[in-house]
Amino acid sequence: MQATNPIPAALAVDRPMRSRALRKLLRDKLAFAALAVIVIYAIVGLLALFHLAATHYQDSVGPAYTAPGAKYLLGTDVLGRSVLERVVHGTRIALVVGFVSTGIAIPIGILFGLLAGFFRKRVDDFIVWFYTTVDSIPYILLVLALALILGKGLVSVCIAIGITSWVGACRVVRGEVIKQKELDYVQAARAMGAGNARILILHILPNVMHLVLIQASLIFVEAVKSEVILSYLGVGVQGEPSWGVMIDDARIELIGRGAWWQFASATGAMFLLLLAFNVFNDALRDALDPKS
Amino acid sequence: MINFILRRLLYTIPIMLGISLIVFVLFHVAGGNPVYRMLGKNASPAEILRLTHQLGLDRPLWVQYLHYLADLLRFDFGRSWETRQRISEMIATGLFPSLCLAVPSFILTTLLAVAVAMVSALFKGKAVDKLLVVGSVLGMSISILALIIGAQYLLAYRMNLFPISGFEIGWRGLPYLALPVLLWIANQVGGDVRYYRSVLLEEIGREYVVTARAKGLSRGRAMRTHVLRNAMIPIVTRLVMEVPLLFTGSLLLENFFGIPGLGNMSINALNASDFPVIEAVTLFGSILYILANLVGDVLYAVFDPRVKLS
Amino acid sequence: MPYRLPHRFRPLAVLLATAFLACTPSRKNLGSTYRGVLISNIKNFDPALVQDQYSSMCQFQVYETLLEYKYLARPYDVQPCLASAAPAISDSGKVFVIRIKKGVEFADDACFPGGKGREVKAADFVYSIKRMCDVRTQTTGWWIFDGKVVGLDAFRKATESLPPLPEQYHPALYDGEVEGLRALDDTTVRLELTKPYPYFKYILAMPYAAVVPHEAVEYYREDFMNHPVGTGPFLLKEWRRGLRLVFERNPKYHHGFYPTEGMPEDSAEGLLADAGKPLPFLDRVELDIFEELQPMWLNFLRGNLDNSIIPKDNYAEAVTPDKSVRGDLAAKGIKLFRQKDLDLVYMCFNFEDPVLGKHKRLRQAMSLAFDADQAVELFYNGRGVRAHSPIPPGLFGYDPAYKNPHARYDPEAAKALLVQEGFPGGKGLPEFEYLTVAASNYRQMGEHFAQCMARIGVKIKVSTCTWPEYLSRLKQKKVQIIAGAWGADYPDPENFLQLLYGPNESPGENNANYKNAEYDSLYREMAIMQDGPERKAKIRRMQDILAEDCPMIPEIHRLRELLIYDWVGDHRGHAVLDAPIKYYRIDAALRRSRLEGRGK
Repeated sequence: MQATNPIPAALAVDRPMRSRALRKLLRDKLAFAALAVIVIYAIVGLLALFHLAATHYQDSVGPAYTAPGAKYLLGTDVLGRSVLERVVHGTRIALVVGFVSTGIAIPIGILFGLLAGFFRKRVDDFIVWFYTTVDSIPYILLVLALALILGKGLVSVCIAIGITSWVGACRVVRGEVIKQKELDYVQAARAMGAGNARILILHILPNVMHLVLIQASLIFVEAVKSEVILSYLGVGVQGEPSWGVMIDDARIELIGRGAWWQFASATGAMFLLLLAFNVFNDALRDALDPKS
Repeated sequence: MINFILRRLLYTIPIMLGISLIVFVLFHVAGGNPVYRMLGKNASPAEILRLTHQLGLDRPLWVQYLHYLADLLRFDFGRSWETRQRISEMIATGLFPSLCLAVPSFILTTLLAVAVAMVSALFKGKAVDKLLVVGSVLGMSISILALIIGAQYLLAYRMNLFPISGFEIGWRGLPYLALPVLLWIANQVGGDVRYYRSVLLEEIGREYVVTARAKGLSRGRAMRTHVLRNAMIPIVTRLVMEVPLLFTGSLLLENFFGIPGLGNMSINALNASDFPVIEAVTLFGSILYILANLVGDVLYAVFDPRVKLS
Repeated sequence: MPYRLPHRFRPLAVLLATAFLACTPSRKNLGSTYRGVLISNIKNFDPALVQDQYSSMCQFQVYETLLEYKYLARPYDVQPCLASAAPAISDSGKVFVIRIKKGVEFADDACFPGGKGREVKAADFVYSIKRMCDVRTQTTGWWIFDGKVVGLDAFRKATESLPPLPEQYHPALYDGEVEGLRALDDTTVRLELTKPYPYFKYILAMPYAAVVPHEAVEYYREDFMNHPVGTGPFLLKEWRRGLRLVFERNPKYHHGFYPTEGMPEDSAEGLLADAGKPLPFLDRVELDIFEELQPMWLNFLRGNLDNSIIPKDNYAEAVTPDKSVRGDLAAKGIKLFRQKDLDLVYMCFNFEDPVLGKHKRLRQAMSLAFDADQAVELFYNGRGVRAHSPIPPGLFGYDPAYKNPHARYDPEAAKALLVQEGFPGGKGLPEFEYLTVAASNYRQMGEHFAQCMARIGVKIKVSTCTWPEYLSRLKQKKVQIIAGAWGADYPDPENFLQLLYGPNESPGENNANYKNAEYDSLYREMAIMQDGPERKAKIRRMQDILAEDCPMIPEIHRLRELLIYDWVGDHRGHAVLDAPIKYYRIDAALRRSRLEGRGK
């Protein structure tokens, strides 16, 4: 068994590269900082998700429109609610939207990409046709249409974003599978009599995962941004504050009252997360790039 | 060449069919029966049946789909539920103002983004580059709403550099477009810079550039003569991908600056749950995208003789 | 452009030209043009289909009715418009005989033979009302005639069996007689009512009852709504959806004159200086559409608009705490204008909901827990008074001394009521949905309500949706608590009390689906009663019933405030008429000097 198992052969090519990538990533201070920021966001989001933080985001804690200060770190909004708690709660929404949408999009993309790249011919033609079609519909319009039809709320936002953003991942996986399929280790596995499913899942999939990782973080960023637009247009999250809802709120008070803090907080929270993801993504790409 | 274009045109047919199918399923199957909406509050069951029959909504779905396709071929998108105007006319009147805003924005954004990306790529890893990365991410994550509100107040009202809002046809309309165009650029340029930077870096890393540099070609010269030329394909790809932005990108800009274009129309339709209009905009955007793709493919062939025209 | 540039410099040229032109804003000669605001896109110009304030504002410039509201005289009343004199009403109060003005012609339009508008005849009124009541027109205004005119309901029923509209626009049925709606000759209309409705004269002044020429309906068919052909003071010249509407003076309009009667303060303010002069004074009306408030506000301050509402977040920058215009604005010639609206902002409970409908003390508790005064401060800058019943100040039956025991903020009393009802601290209650229209303001109002309810332990989830979706959920009774507002269609308390009349339940206007036998019978009695002590007593009893049952939380009656430049003359607010533009006058010289003086 041990002798005939081709897995070590595949990993033999792969493992050093991956650990090298990881080491490279960790050495890049900027990337490390970005990762740390993402982790902090995740922790804050999780705390809010399990009602351990920002539980009073709906209560008045002080007078309306108090500027940031020692008592209210990020100030208060029109109903005297703490902007800090609202931002934290918004983090939770952003992370939920980001992870759930990515969680929907990535498996679809991988599945279609693997099938198309591996089987080619009819299957490939159909899948390529399908993703070209989906891709031809302007993204934000498709998401809006879906959100309108699915009804409002967090769940439909996630579904709408999820089932519209798998195309990139699918395309990348398909291209890589076409390349990998011709490589020696796949041929070897086939010679050993491994079935299609086995080859796909155990051999090819691990070797395209690094590309999927980059795609996933792209989808994540796109999902967070889309949520903000959807919420602003009134088809987003209902009954709780998200960053989009906060920006919508802030829009009317920004100039007239000069109440900039709600706006700055929501935008700042979004900026930092997106910056971290972008930096991390760049580093990931560099690290995984065999050429460098 | 003509052969190539014809073949590409043929290839768009199944895509168009696919799009129409998806949109049909979204709006006509999942979207629910419009009759309730059209008849208003006091509709009797008999009236509902009558109108359902009159609109052909009691026929099998595939028959409805064929009729739907036939309407689309005649560019007949039906009428708006809200204003009861013919949607094809609405699109025709909204297209020009949208293009007035989008085309200059689009061109200027691209020129600026490529220039900035070149600088960034030349100084990769240096302070300038890092600053530009942070700057472009900042640009990407500041909501366009903030840009609009702030600029309209400060630049247009306080400093009186631009008119506050409005739209005119002809040269008189130029001042009205200036500020929205600037805001478009500010909003869009960050993402473009990030993309073009990675494209250029990819190209710089290639062997021929390394060779050229080794032969003593200066950095800037290598950039201009080799890299940019070869990066044209990804740049064209990006341009094609951004075509739908021609009107979705201007959704909020049009609303705040009173530009009576397609973005304005879409927001109104959205606020009124005016499905036929949203549907038409979706279809129209897709068609635009496919056409842009076609043009993009032809351009590839122009920029890169290696692309086979088969 | 007088010169040409090489191609590659074109974008640069455009940019430079843009920057250059932007610095020299062209000031066109405005003359006697009034520049008003619409804060929403208007839908169409078909009087049968009007349903929002802004569409009706625009229609009013083009179309006219038999009667119209008096501009200056108070209390609100009507006077002849296309009628030549006040209607002759029979002693029973049921028969209206109305003679119409001779020589009034429709505007010239391609729909008439030779393009020349013809004279308006009595038959046109009969046609217009019949057309509106035809089911196939899909009017939103049937309720104004529903059950009120003899034979009209049967006519409407008969139209149901006719072929669909676009194919057949002028069916024979329209020539048949309706008992209560007849043209006796070319200049006399006779209407017979089923009951002596005292407010019927107001209905004849509503936009739904405007006169339209059948030629235009037949000629433009489905596009009639985009081609208004009326008798009004203005003609629609340009309509760029999403941007603006432009009207110009109708050269054939000769039958309107500035009012000669007004209130004492009107003559003191010089509003009667133009008494008896032919209308309109304006040559041109431009109504700009602003979906967002910021560009509207800034354009107003810049002097590009003649008036503006005050967005709530800009209030402090425009108005001082003692309610006068701030100095810098006053120096520009801006005046503050206040006007009591005939309206009601309220929330109502759906009685079909198993919990909300069954527990009176729960509703009372929620009414007591709602801090309306805080809402007035937060969302209306104090522009409004606490409502105690549906009837707003200014209408018959409003009594400033009347206090609804549950229309005050008293969370302790509310908690006690919850205990009595078996829901101590809100225990045992489900989360209720509060439905409102998707807009930041409305959502915040919902969140404020939820906050108030949280103080007594009642959980509220705020949901928002588009306006059509909101309506459809109301009509299907798929709601729990909704936010609503009602503006007077006509100045009679009946228009507000019908909001809770049992038979008006959804899809009618009784969105609470509230039914109370005593209230309903009182309503039927007061609806056909002339104003007097007896009517007052019945209204008072109805108010008491509502206070006890709490089908709605009456929140506030709003106060409208408007900023207007002093170059607009003859301006007086009107709670029913949204835009009496035909009475306005522009002092073009003053406007020019003020705007030019500002540039320096």
